[in-house]
Amino acid sequence: MIPLAFLLAFLLLPLIVLLLRTWSGEGTRVLSEATTWQIASLSALQATVSTVLSLALGLPIAAVVSRYAFRGRAFVQALITVPFVMPTVVVAMAFRSLLGSSLPQGFLIVVLAHAYVNLAVVVRIVGAQWAQQDDRYVRAARTLGASPVTAFRTITLPYLRPSIIASAVVVFIFSFTSLGIIVLLGDSSTRTLESQILRRTSVLLDFPAAAALAVLQLVVICVVIAIGAAASRQRGRQRPVRSALIAMPARIGARMTIRLVAIITCAIVLLPVIALLEASVSSRAGFTSQWWTSINAIDAGTTRIGSPVASLLQSVQFALLTGVVAGIIGGCAALAVLAHRWGRFVAVAAVVPLGISAATLGLGMLLAFGRPPVDLRSTGLLIPLAHSLVAVPLVVAVIAPALRGVDPRVTDVAATLGARPTRAFFTAYGSTLRTVMLAAGGLACAVSLGEFGAASFLARTGSPTVPIQIVRLLSRPGEQAYGVAAVMSVILIAVTLALVLAVDRLGRRTGALRTSY
Amino acid sequence: MPYALHTDRLIVGYDDWESDPIDLKVEPGTITAILGPSGCGKSTLLSTIAGIRPVISGRVYVDGRDITGLPAHERTVGMVFQEPLLFPNYDVARNIGYGLERQGISRRDARLRAQELLDWVGLRDYGPRSVDELSGGQAQRVALVRALAPNPALLLLDEPFSALDVDLRQRLAAEVSELLRSRGVAAVHVTHDPAEARAMADHVLNFSDLSV
Repeated sequence: MIPLAFLLAFLLLPLIVLLLRTWSGEGTRVLSEATTWQIASLSALQATVSTVLSLALGLPIAAVVSRYAFRGRAFVQALITVPFVMPTVVVAMAFRSLLGSSLPQGFLIVVLAHAYVNLAVVVRIVGAQWAQQDDRYVRAARTLGASPVTAFRTITLPYLRPSIIASAVVVFIFSFTSLGIIVLLGDSSTRTLESQILRRTSVLLDFPAAAALAVLQLVVICVVIAIGAAASRQRGRQRPVRSALIAMPARIGARMTIRLVAIITCAIVLLPVIALLEASVSSRAGFTSQWWTSINAIDAGTTRIGSPVASLLQSVQFALLTGVVAGIIGGCAALAVLAHRWGRFVAVAAVVPLGISAATLGLGMLLAFGRPPVDLRSTGLLIPLAHSLVAVPLVVAVIAPALRGVDPRVTDVAATLGARPTRAFFTAYGSTLRTVMLAAGGLACAVSLGEFGAASFLARTGSPTVPIQIVRLLSRPGEQAYGVAAVMSVILIAVTLALVLAVDRLGRRTGALRTSY
Repeated sequence: MPYALHTDRLIVGYDDWESDPIDLKVEPGTITAILGPSGCGKSTLLSTIAGIRPVISGRVYVDGRDITGLPAHERTVGMVFQEPLLFPNYDVARNIGYGLERQGISRRDARLRAQELLDWVGLRDYGPRSVDELSGGQAQRVALVRALAPNPALLLLDEPFSALDVDLRQRLAAEVSELLRSRGVAAVHVTHDPAEARAMADHVLNFSDLSV
């Protein structure tokens, strides 16, 4: 009941308020404007190109990293996850640092940044399936006269099709609803529905129009998911095998290609991060530690924009609250699967926020709870609640498989030995639950630390989160603001990575976490 | 007349294991069975002849043609595996026509030819069906005609009946032997079952006896 009540209050109610605002006010007016459809088309084009680029980069990497046993494979595999766990604002900042003042803002750089972030989505989803392909099907095709290319086209590609489509749908939705990268790297050619929702809300204060755009965006996402589901249906499936790595091929050319792909992957992932590190310790005059020492008292230009340390503390506070709320809600949703026959419905419902953009969530919550009679904004709870909605799907994805891995018969054994139902349950699931709740909570903290979209709607002027502070700093002139933004980005990467690594370590130590987030 | 298959001091292997040099000669139109316990390298030998494992050293000749350096798809050597490995994304007829399509035959003609082969093995109505609808024996028969459809110069049978029950195994072994003889296709059949080997083959050899 707890997860359902949470979702009804903070997801369904805001969505209903959004719909009502769209149709009761002036909302539908914006849908008849040509500019709206132009922006919607631009968003779709940008997301499509980002998806194609992510697949073009991700598929060769998945082919190498998920299938071949080569030295450093585990390192490359871990490295690919880094851009995905980096907050999008930090990714944008890293691209700015990499390309410097020559940054060609606009379409190309936006789709490149999206491909960078979403590389892990393609590699993880497609790679997981590729690793389980029974190689004998390909061998059978080869003995029937199929060249390697034909065997790939007729046997491997149909096998991978569902995972390729699934990753394409996820990347499309992420790119279509991207905000941080659009705000920092985009120009007029990359205006998206998401950025327009933000503009209509925070600049034009045109809430009905923003609500209409959010609803339009939601409809597009639903259509894309439906198309993806229809396209991935297929006649038959090759039976997957347990993942087993293939030995490096004997041919020197093939070995070189595999190593080259691994090296290029490392370069792609590391270059922006290295550029960001460099930006945090350099000025026009050369090396400097000034940005690190002035982090608590920055005066960018003529306007004081608040202490970065204060925003860091604010972000940590929100992250801890998110960890607790998302951990409890997600944990209850995952437990519902075990405890109740309708539990699967609860678990599916908890994953729904994944398909709803951060701006839609933020705007909906702002309209529903941002002003009297229910004003949660002044309590400082709205941002952690919005972040919890964003994090709950990931929490469920971590906890549910771990709980399914526990042998339920242990509960029966405990009961036959005299344990009451609650005691029997905790005998079976207690240790796993403790570990995965901690891990999932940590993951939710990481999500909260980097979240920009919803927070940009809900943050009050005096208490920005770190991603918002970075965007504000970058809108100021002067190299000090830029340097401090770089420092804050580095800190955010370090904290996020530390959290993700801790979660991963926890999972490996107990063997309880069996999902790839 | 050249041998249908001749391996000249062929060394095969995987990981750290290597065979002794193998000399194997198969007369045209005959079936040779190779007996040996599991893990002795029989399947590795067939995979190497088919071109899906690299040759460590030695030469392989099929119908007098040196195929040692050729990729699998240029060898005209068919293979039936322990499991049918039918492609689940295609129906039964498309599976059988797969090799014909690779030879440039149109999908329509390949389908007609597949239908003839299905009639031949008593599976007349199965062409448009999903491969998931086939029983174990039916699937293995389809796998056999799929390998025979492109008219290979040599057919390799890698314990194709091992996953079937005893009755079906014996029945299919006799059936396949008859099919191969009627088409005059030379074949190498590896198995660990001496009765099956004797039922099918003109010559029965022990794997250990192949070493030079």
